[in-house]
Amino acid sequence: MNTPAVPELSEKERPPQVHRRRYRWGRNAVVAWLTAVLLGAFLLDIPRINILEHTARNLYFHVPMWFTMMAAFVVAAYHAGGFLRSGRLARDTRAFEAARVGTLFGLVGLVTGMVWARFTWYRGTGLWWNFDPKQTMAAVQLLIFGAYFVLRSALEGQPEKRGRISGVYLLFAVAVMPFLLYVLPRQMESLHPGAEGNPAFSDITAPIMRVVFYPSVIGFIGLFWVLYTQRVRAAALEMRARLRDSAFRG
Amino acid sequence: MTVHILLPQQQADTSAGASTAYDSVWAGGDEANASAQPPASQQKGNALEQTMLSHDKLYVVLAVVLLVWLGVVALLVRTDRRLSALEHRLDDTS
Repeated sequence: MNTPAVPELSEKERPPQVHRRRYRWGRNAVVAWLTAVLLGAFLLDIPRINILEHTARNLYFHVPMWFTMMAAFVVAAYHAGGFLRSGRLARDTRAFEAARVGTLFGLVGLVTGMVWARFTWYRGTGLWWNFDPKQTMAAVQLLIFGAYFVLRSALEGQPEKRGRISGVYLLFAVAVMPFLLYVLPRQMESLHPGAEGNPAFSDITAPIMRVVFYPSVIGFIGLFWVLYTQRVRAAALEMRARLRDSAFRG
Repeated sequence: MTVHILLPQQQADTSAGASTAYDSVWAGGDEANASAQPPASQQKGNALEQTMLSHDKLYVVLAVVLLVWLGVVALLVRTDRRLSALEHRLDDTS
């Protein structure tokens, strides 16, 4: 069904392929799943916690953003490694699209964290940002990922070189992730749960909240998969259109 | 045309003292009132209103979030349709 634009197209130049029916089923499942998560997030009664009150429900939305970002960059690193090994441009395309959607989730995680902190940690102070180690390290991590896109745009028009250099960079950027997001913030005085002197998720989360939280993490990682696959499809179309143009011209 | 008559405003809750700038105090803000029923003025409405106004009007937020989510999903599906159409076109011509 997916006949390549040019018959003698090499393995390395072939656009990424998406199983369309599997994608459609997956997308519908993710939509239904996340709708159920939203209902559970608002309809289930949660224990009343001082200071947090209803904002405790942010656990269902803010935290999965970061889990999703981490999953997205693990996928991106997997495909970056795959490109370095095989030289297939389809793998580079997948790495790039996964990184792009992952960055979106990271940015949303950072901003939602700021809003949450403003009205709990910094209530009464008017502060939106106070260089809390957890937030600062997360912002640094996003800047490190941001450099990946800058690097790629600097190598525009040289797909082989761009894939190789940015792929190596991405592997290092992802290797740093657990340290910036987990190890360092826990060594410092942070208001974020899980930091020194603060109870972690396992200590403060009521069982009823776990019923929504874990499905929410799965659902948002599913949403990442949908958005990422959609972008891969669009990128594949662009590659095919470009190949067709050059075939007509050549 | 329906004429909406302005209901008389609930008397300002001054129990919180003069320090507050608001004319009423959120019941949920007070630990002691956490499980209290909504004020009498809110119990008069129909069943829908009673449901939506309970739990500190949390269900209104749910309704808004669901509408936003449905909008995003509609966009997602329409983009998928567009991609499918383009894929079919390239499949046929190349």
